[in-house]
Order: sequence, then structure tokens, then C-alpha cells
Amino acid sequence: MKEYQVVGKSVRRLDALEKATGMGTFTTDLVLPGMLYAKVLRSPHAHARIVRIDTSRAEQLPGVEAVACFKNTTRKRFNHSATMTFTVPPMEAVLDECIYDDVVRYVGDEVAAVAAVSERIAEEALALIDVEYELLPAVFDPVKAMEPNAPDIHTRKAGCFLCGKNIPGEKIHLALGNVEEGFKESDVIIEETFYLPVQKQAQLETQAALATVSHNGDITVWSTTQTPHPTRQILSHIFEISQSKIRVLNPPYIGGGFGVRIGLSAKAEPIAVDLAMKTKKPVKIVYDRKEDFTSTDTRHSGIVTVKLGAKKDGTFQALQLKGLLNTGAYCSFGAETIGVLGAMGLSVYRAPHMLYTGNSVYTNITPAGAFRGFGNPQAMFAIESVVDMMAEQLGMDAKELRLKNIIKPGDPWILPYSCQSTGLTECIEKGAKEIGWERRGKLNKPGDRLRRGIGMAVGTHVSDAWPFCGDFSNAYVTIQADGSVHVASGVPDMGTGTRTTLGQFAAEVIGVGMEHISVTIADTQSTPFDIGSHASRTCYVAGQAVMQAAAEARSYALTYAAKMLNEPLENLTIQNAAVYCRGERKLTLAEVARHAHLHNEQFIGVGKVIPQNAPPWLAHFAEVEVDTETGQVRLLKLVAAHDVGKAINPVIVEGQLQGGVVQGMGYALSEEVLFDRDGRSQHDAYHKYMLLTAEDMPEIKAIIVEAEDPTGPCGAKGVGETGQVATAPAIANAIYDAVGVRLKQLPMTEERVFQALQNQLN
Amino acid sequence: MHKLSVAFQLNNKSVSLSVDPNDTLLDVLRNQLNLTGTKKGCGKGECGACTVILDGEAVNACLVPIMKVMGCSVQTIEGIGDAEHLHPLQEAFIDKGAIQCGYCTPGMIMSSKALLDKNKTPNQAEIREAIAGNICRCTGYVKIEEAVQAAAEKMRER
Repeated sequence: MKEYQVVGKSVRRLDALEKATGMGTFTTDLVLPGMLYAKVLRSPHAHARIVRIDTSRAEQLPGVEAVACFKNTTRKRFNHSATMTFTVPPMEAVLDECIYDDVVRYVGDEVAAVAAVSERIAEEALALIDVEYELLPAVFDPVKAMEPNAPDIHTRKAGCFLCGKNIPGEKIHLALGNVEEGFKESDVIIEETFYLPVQKQAQLETQAALATVSHNGDITVWSTTQTPHPTRQILSHIFEISQSKIRVLNPPYIGGGFGVRIGLSAKAEPIAVDLAMKTKKPVKIVYDRKEDFTSTDTRHSGIVTVKLGAKKDGTFQALQLKGLLNTGAYCSFGAETIGVLGAMGLSVYRAPHMLYTGNSVYTNITPAGAFRGFGNPQAMFAIESVVDMMAEQLGMDAKELRLKNIIKPGDPWILPYSCQSTGLTECIEKGAKEIGWERRGKLNKPGDRLRRGIGMAVGTHVSDAWPFCGDFSNAYVTIQADGSVHVASGVPDMGTGTRTTLGQFAAEVIGVGMEHISVTIADTQSTPFDIGSHASRTCYVAGQAVMQAAAEARSYALTYAAKMLNEPLENLTIQNAAVYCRGERKLTLAEVARHAHLHNEQFIGVGKVIPQNAPPWLAHFAEVEVDTETGQVRLLKLVAAHDVGKAINPVIVEGQLQGGVVQGMGYALSEEVLFDRDGRSQHDAYHKYMLLTAEDMPEIKAIIVEAEDPTGPCGAKGVGETGQVATAPAIANAIYDAVGVRLKQLPMTEERVFQALQNQLN
Repeated sequence: MHKLSVAFQLNNKSVSLSVDPNDTLLDVLRNQLNLTGTKKGCGKGECGACTVILDGEAVNACLVPIMKVMGCSVQTIEGIGDAEHLHPLQEAFIDKGAIQCGYCTPGMIMSSKALLDKNKTPNQAEIREAIAGNICRCTGYVKIEEAVQAAAEKMRER
């Protein structure tokens, strides 16, 4: 393995000091002179037409400076997710929303907004807006929404791209071989259907934006976006203003994201920009927690059916997967998530015959979009449950069955790029050892009330969004006149350590320590175009761009030094911020840069990367204790062994895994947003939505496996989402091992486990 | 608007302010005193991002009416250490990788400090109880717990 100076070391995060002292600036902290505060009036109805809206009383309230609604605001159609900026033809982005429409499609949909001198006055003004609604029939069930007599939530006539009744985008069809043949060749076939809940990102900082419009019409927006450059493109589209006149940036910190702000931060940016244009003053909007729950993207709920056929010896012959995702009132990423569900679900195991069909469907609930895992957790809960059932039916060990069937490089697989690395076998073996897999099935005595069980599940993910969507990165790396190094990349750091990791790449490539590095991120004006932070891509793609830019800057510096020293270039290297000639220290990098500066030269490298893709791999193991009288599941231990390619900063990587695993634990056991019969969210606050706290934590062990990928920067693969992928099925399989009941619906709450135990008794 | 005056100790200094009595301590800290280190996550006492120490107890500043702090002592993240003189908890949070997005961090550190001010040798259950009202969505609490433990050790050594 290659020796590195900075890469692979857990260097201190560049953002840690500011955050630990309370000095880090977030969008919610920003204040500008003369700034106004915006609040939004939201629909109380799941589906209705606005027949009359009167804002005059609100406008007359002292302190109110503007009221916006569909009557006085652009109705240019867009998609608040970044999909509209990188959907590649012949695929077509679904543009199904405007800032305010005359139809509301879910409880919480935007009706109007007020800008006022204080948040309190803005809120008072909302109560003075008179709206008369004509109620329209609503549908909440994704299956019923596709029936011919269901209400149309969007129509082709209105310009929405549909491929069936309430089906946005395209139906996905992925095939390998012929599944019918495959099932004929199988000795055992298992088919099961699984039900997935709405999960909420519940990131700590709610959606927020602060917009200003200059007298020249230049727009500046500080916001919580995960993708400043695509956000700029969307704003340019909505307001029909050139991209060059719009600046979008993070201030620079974002209080988490997990996918909820890929593209716009819900509608925070366009609402603020529109009101800033109307009032000619800076306007800030901060969603309150309830709005963040009801009116920003969730994880897709849905239904997944798996049919798996295997030979008696355990060889998988055919795998068929069907997906249906409820994308709510607006498409957002609905057309992509359903594709990733199938693509990831079918890329873990080798089977000669595979088929995936799936589609998303509109209903009148909160829109669903991107959330860590992006369709993959839905797929793997179903698949990994069925693989365990198959092991039992074949009388095989569940671990051995997986080891026998997992993809190896060179196997045919469903994805349009090749698998060039896998450390999954090592993940499985190390994870099994850590959990004590051999104890499985031997943990209980007959009659025990508290029964223990062990389960496992495996999976993979992506390292960027290519070739599902457009995906590329650029970066600048400059060696300044004093020898210090400046990195400029358009990706944000929403807490994942991007800034530090990118700095490590630059330091490594140039040959300086981290003390010489500074990193500018997430600003459309001072960084080159970058898709942004999503799809586990920042380290993998932006990292490559930074490495490329750093290599170019380094080569300029070395070429210059060669002239200064009158030595052949091939004899020179840079280490510890100094130029060495055949092992002898000759000049500091600062001396070279200073000399160059005084002779009119700066060392600027540009990185431009069109990425490939690489699969990270993971094996999760869970040990649980189930109370057979109450149905309560207590997690005792979770092991997450992940092949990350190369851990650029191991402490940051562990943090990603631990955080992802705990979100997976919530998905498995407690987190769920339910809607009542009128489409009102029943879980619109932290205390209603059952997030796990420190007191709920089991022992969590993250194991890093490094099967370097030839396409990754220093071998690295995506690690942002993998922790979420297979946690729920590992826990479900452990529950089965403990009490012999198979839960097919998440979350596996006490009630559901208790009910399943009752059913088992009867 | 009807204003009232309020006086209290803030980070060991006396402050005297004219305030809107409808405001919470959080409103005054963030909007009037520009101390934005104390974060607002929900405004309803559900997430702990706005935790400050009030007369030795960790409280959600969003639930404290400003007039209630009359004559009290309030400590915020800005008052416990700075870049040159970090509090052991701040140091440990940085060193252990307990900070990701950083939005929960000030509240998490203040809850932990309220614990360590009273209990020099907390066990795992006591640490978890102290931060049970602070939601973190990034870390899974693993490294936060390690950091509080490490800070407790460091403070014992001093």
C-alpha cells in the first residue's frame, strides 16, 4: 500500500475550532442592515383550488413591506431538486411546481408569503390573508393514486411530464437474462412484499436563505443548499436572470442536510429572492421546525416486492424486484430515487437472470426526495430480509449464503459501469468476528421472556451520480506568493468533513502540511462549477478535481524551481513545503513562489473531472434483545464494516459510518411520519417524531476496510450514505433470530413486533 | 412596544438591557446581543441546540422568558473558552471528531459542561442522561460520548 504524508491521517478538521467555540456562521445566524423577515402561509388542505385570495388587510399591517402569492409572482415551473439541472436527454426533468400556484396539493403547500420588519409582524400578517378554497378530491395511497378514477394531481395538459396516471417521469425497467427462465431453473423460490415508511432527515438547521438584490439586479443568496451551483441554475431559470448575475453561497456552514437540500432548500431561496425583488431590501427566511417537517422533502415511503430463486446448493438463479415509491405532491427526485432503488438492489448479488420494474407516484402528502441512501435502504430492507428467508429454507448459514452469491469484479452486473474493487468478503468476515456470529441461534433457552438474536445484511452504493445523472467537478488550486496553498471547490461541507478532506488531497499532492492549506468552498462566485454535495460524491469526485488541480500547480512550481536551480525537472520534488533536488533541500516553496511572484508568475492549477463510478461495500451486524411480552426491541450492538476504498481521514470516515448507522437504526425501529385521513402530518415536531437520543445508543463498532478502487482519489470510494443502507434489515434479521417473527414493515415499533408475536401465537 | 429592563450576569459580566418581555432568553442572546453561538433548532425545547447554563443548570434558552433571568447568572458557549483558551470540552470535541455539522455542538457542550461542573467522574449513563435532551443527527452520539469522557479525564488531571 502506498505511503502518504497527509492522506490517511486523522488530521484536525478545519471547521472544528469555529464550531466548538460558537463562532461558526450558519445561514440562520445572518443579519444584514435593513433586512426583512419572511413567513409563509401554508395550505391547510391536501388538495384545493384557490378561488379567491385577498392580501390587502395583510399589506396594510404596519411593518409589512410585501405580500407574495400566485397573483403577483412568476409562475415559471421548476423542480426544487437539482434534477432539473443535470437530467441528461433523452430523459426529461419533471418541472411540476412554481413558487405559489392557484392549486395546493398537500397540507403545508405554499399559498403566500409576507416580508416584514420582524418575524412576529410577518406572522401576524399571515393571519390577515383571506383565502377561499374549493376543495378537490385527494389521494394518499400510492396504489390508489394510479387507479383510473383517482384525482389528477398533475396533468400533461398543464405541462407536467407524466408516463401514466399520476406517474411522474419514466417507469424504470432494468433486465439481465430472462427471469422467467431463471425461476424455472430454481429449486426454491421466495416472494415477499415489504412496506417502507416516510422518514425525515430532521437535520438540526432548518431550511433557510437570505437574499439581496442590488440596484444592478445582481442577486446574492446565502442559504443552506447542498449544491450552490445547481441552486444558482434553478434560480436563474425561475427568475429568467442570467446565471452570472446570481451568486449563491453557504455562509459557510450548514447544519446538516442528508439530502434535504440538493437543489433548493425546499423553497427558501426563491421565496427570499422574490420578496427581495419586490421590496428592494434583504429578505431572510428561516423555516420553523414544523414547516421543516411538513414542507420539505422526506424519504420516499413505498412498497417493494422481491422474488428470489435459488438452486439447492444456494446459487442464486433469478432475482426480481418491483418498486413503488410515494413521491408525494411534487416529483422532486422521485424519478431518480425509483431508479436507484432498482439499480442498487440488483447490484449486490450475482444472478444470471434479473429484472427490475418500478415507478414513483404522486399523492397528496409532503413531497419525498433525496435522503441519505436514496432508494437503496428501501431496496435492501426487502432483499436482505428475503435472502435470510432463503438461507433458512435451504438450511444454510445466512452468512455463507451471502458469501457464495455476492458480486465479484468481472461478474456480469446490472450497472452501466464496471465493478473494479470489492472488500465485501473482508467486511463480512470482520463484522462476523466482531459480533460473534457463531453464537447465532444459541442465545436463548426455551421459556426466556427476553430473547436475544443476531442478524446481518449487506449492500453497496455509489460514489457519485454518474451515469444516472450529469456529474462533474472542477477545482482551482493556487500556490500563493508566500507558498501557502489555496483550494477553491464548489462543494459545500454540510458536516461531512469535505473541506478538511479536500485540503488533505491538496496538501498530499503538493507536498505541504495542513498548516499551509486554506479551503474556500460552496460559493458560485469564487469557485468553479461543481454539482455539489450529494450521491456520496464530494470526496470521490471533487477530491479528484482537487488532486488534479494541485498536481498542475505543483508542476508549475517545480518547473519554475528547476529554472531557478538550473537543474533538470526530473531531479526535483516537493516535500514539507520545500523543493528537494536528489534528496537535498534546496529552497522553500515560499522562496520559489515569492521569486515567481516578483517575476510575474503565479502557480494556478485547474482540475476538471468527468468521473467514473465505484461501488463501496458494507456488511452490517446487529444483536438485539426482544421482550416477548411487550414487543420492545433493545439493540445491544451494531457492527458496520465498510469497504471505503481508502479512508482519507479515518476519524471523519468513522463519523460518517456511525451517524449513518444510527439513522438506519431510527429507520428500523422508531422513525415514521404518518398522515391522518385528511393528509395532515401527525409527526411534525421533534417530540412527535421518534428520533433516537444518546440514551438509546447500543454499542456501535465501525470497521474500516480498504479495497482501493483504481478510479478513486488515492483509491477512495463514497462513504456518505453507506451507513444507512443495510442497518434496518440487519436488525430485522436479528429480531427473527431472536423470536422467529418476520417483520415486513418498517419501523419495527413495539406495537408491530407485539402484534407479530401475537399472530405467531395464534 | 412596551419594554422592560432586565439585569443579569452573562458570561461573568453584568448586563443591563431594555427588552421586550415577550422575548425568550434565546431571542435576546441571538437578536439583541448578537451571541449567535447559541443555536435555534426548534424554538420549543425539543432539540437542545439552544442549551445554556442558568445558575448552574443546563436549560433550553428558547423556553426561558427573558424576565426570568433577572438577577441570574447565564453562561453561553461564547463564555466558556475561545480559540486561545479552549475549555477542555471544546478541546475534546475537536480532538475526538465529535463535531460534524456543528449545529448541535454549542448546546451539546453546554449540557456536558453543566454535568462536569457538578460531577467530575460521570459514568456512561450519567453522560447519556445529561445530553439526552440534545439531538444530534450527524454523529450517532458515539464520538460525543467519547469526548465528554475524555474532557472529564482531562479536567480531573488539572
